[in-house]
Amino acid sequence: MTQTAMEPTSAMSKPAKAASIPDEAAITPAHPATEFVRAFARNQSAILGLVLLALVFALTFLGPVIYPLNPYEMVDMPFAAPGGEYAPLGTDYIGRDILAGIISGGKATLAVGASSALISVVIGILIGSFAGYFGGFIDAALMKVTEFFQILPALLLAMLLVSIFGAKLLTIIIAIGIVSWPQTARLARAEFMRIRKLDYVNAARTAGAKNSYLIFAVILPAALPPLIVAAGLAVGSAILFEAGLSFLGLGDPNVMSWGLIIGQNRNYLLDAWWTVTLPGIAIFITVLGISLVGDGINDALNPKLRRR
Amino acid sequence: MKHFRKFALGAATGLTLMASSALAQQSLLVGSTQVPRHFNGAIQSGIATAMPSTQIFASPLMYSDSWDPIPYLAKSWETSADGLTVTLNLVDNATFHDGTPLTSEDVAFSIMTIKENHPFKTMLAPVTTVETPDATTAVIKLEHPHPALMLAMSPALMPIIPKHIYGEGNIQENPANLNPVGSGPFKFVEYKQGEYFKLEKNADFFIDGQPKLDEIIVQIFGDTANLVMAMERGDIDMLPYLTGVRDIERLDGTDGVSVATKGGEAIGAINWLAFNTKKAPFDDPKVRQALGYAINKDFYLKRIMGGFADDATGPITMTSPLATTDVEQYAFDLEKAKALLDEAGLAPDGDGTRFTMTIDYIPGGVETGRNLVEYLRSQLKQIGVEVEVRTSPDFPTWAKRISSYDFDVTQDLVFNWGDPVIGVNRTYVSSNIRPGVIWSNTQQYSNARVDELLAAAAVETDTAKRAELYKEFQQIVVADAPILYLSEMPYSLAYKDGMDGIPTGIWGPASPWLDVSMPE
Repeated sequence: MTQTAMEPTSAMSKPAKAASIPDEAAITPAHPATEFVRAFARNQSAILGLVLLALVFALTFLGPVIYPLNPYEMVDMPFAAPGGEYAPLGTDYIGRDILAGIISGGKATLAVGASSALISVVIGILIGSFAGYFGGFIDAALMKVTEFFQILPALLLAMLLVSIFGAKLLTIIIAIGIVSWPQTARLARAEFMRIRKLDYVNAARTAGAKNSYLIFAVILPAALPPLIVAAGLAVGSAILFEAGLSFLGLGDPNVMSWGLIIGQNRNYLLDAWWTVTLPGIAIFITVLGISLVGDGINDALNPKLRRR
Repeated sequence: MKHFRKFALGAATGLTLMASSALAQQSLLVGSTQVPRHFNGAIQSGIATAMPSTQIFASPLMYSDSWDPIPYLAKSWETSADGLTVTLNLVDNATFHDGTPLTSEDVAFSIMTIKENHPFKTMLAPVTTVETPDATTAVIKLEHPHPALMLAMSPALMPIIPKHIYGEGNIQENPANLNPVGSGPFKFVEYKQGEYFKLEKNADFFIDGQPKLDEIIVQIFGDTANLVMAMERGDIDMLPYLTGVRDIERLDGTDGVSVATKGGEAIGAINWLAFNTKKAPFDDPKVRQALGYAINKDFYLKRIMGGFADDATGPITMTSPLATTDVEQYAFDLEKAKALLDEAGLAPDGDGTRFTMTIDYIPGGVETGRNLVEYLRSQLKQIGVEVEVRTSPDFPTWAKRISSYDFDVTQDLVFNWGDPVIGVNRTYVSSNIRPGVIWSNTQQYSNARVDELLAAAAVETDTAKRAELYKEFQQIVVADAPILYLSEMPYSLAYKDGMDGIPTGIWGPASPWLDVSMPE
């Protein structure tokens, strides 16, 4: 297991190393990519996470080829139990195939997760980097804004945004992005505060680099690793968020997603468990996978935890 | 409050409950999610007020299950030959709960108050004056014949309120709206806003031997799930206005609980699909009819509504003596639907799609709303119509979209309220196309013959001739299809086994509970 997992490692190590030489290697010399992949591969739960994610991606992107059924088509009586002739995983309240729904809902669910996480990370990095880099008044002002968003109950704020601007997929993505950036911002700020005092940054400043260059080209690359982990975890929480909104009836009814299937069938949980449980398991597996991989990356990047 | 605590405590321990109910003899605990704004049904419509209002206030008439008037405060009545005068002969032994005798003055005051303040403007619009030659005679003078007056004298629409209490100042702000004094079978005791209200037997009620109950407590629940559970556990005795199919099924299968699936036909809530008839392609009757033929109503009634909703085939509630079934039935036929769309020039494109339309629905309705539109999305795809579902976060959002004609098709739930003049005309007459007003003619439907028929039927006093006029009206609007009728709203009522005299008449629980009694 370890042997095979290490093979691609050595192949990958060269270009990765070459790319990281200019700045990264200078700050944290104990971070070669080989070390990272080796540490990641040693982490069994991280590998399990990868397998789960691979399963989810296969279901979502190969599923429609193997099981090409319109998720909106009524194939059987409402609430047909799993194992039936027409619908292997049963049907919902108007007789639509749950398996077809899960397969086709994966795309929207993953898209919401990835896009919302991207939005929250971009906002978070912008605010966090400015606050951490400039400090002083700018820091205080930006952190007050961050705290303002942090003390608002995230789900309520997202519900409000979706209620006002309509239950469209794009609105939902933006709403989730808007309510979930503060954590990334705080993380980015902490990293920037630490790194901006390092010698190599001072060297760049002395050489006449502008603030924007220092922020985005000098400090950001060094601050990225923990932010990448945070982004990964943000994908998981965005998926849960979307499911929560759909559960409350605020999902986009015109885009099939796992949350939507759960939300529309929740009244029938006692009559037809499969309509809610099966898409719920799909969400669980996805979020678990993301979380395990995220933790694995985090551990592998952190020299102190590497041998844990 | 004290009393309620006692009751709640009693409910907590079974033994005490038995003891206390033996003491209170006939006590009925009703559960509801409806919060009454106040109890004065003379100035407020809706079942939240009508249910308690009909217990507290008496009215000139009651109605039998076959839509026939029964004497109540009026022991007899007659309409003049020209239809312009309706004389009520009142009982002479009715008193208000404060001991004041009820006279024709109160009847005259109530009718004029309702005419001026009640939201149903057409209900008493032709009334000019009410004369009171003596204490037990009220003579209603009409501008033109108004047969709808008969149903308008029902308990749910014409509570007789005491002039000496409601006659002073602005009636909307009268404190007695929240502390009502009537002449009905039950006296108001107390109302803890949003929590419960309590009524007790009117010992001096003018009909001997009624009511049977000694007290009624209506406990208000925050949500239906809790309410249904309370009924399941036996915490409450009666649950009126049950609408969720799963809730009805669940209580129907609960030991010790019975469910009445009839009652309230006069309220006549009809679930339907309404078109924006000024917007292409729905300005073409063929397109509207095509959708009618594409809907499998059998599936809707049996599968989506669980068999608890009655079919609706026209604008007038099916059990009304004025309703006819002799209309186009829109029997499920996909080929016919496709042919009609072809005729309308809506040929399928490369993907088989003829056109895309949006469907709105009243937020909150699960089976009658969301499940129905989701079904339509799948169903209409079969004839090449793509459905985009538009959700509304709350009722005002939906109402604003529909009343500003920003929609293609919407599910809607509209109430008959007795006579067609009160609840039916508003949807079809062209003079009621009023931007910004929900439940006006939001379809913007306009048909000169329909206007003519409804105007004639409103003043026709001969019942048979009146039914003929309405028959033609029903045939026209069903064929023209500005609206596709789906079902009557199932208003079920769950009650404890062994209870008697359950209010399942045409006004359902919004009628006096004279015969309701608890098991011994």
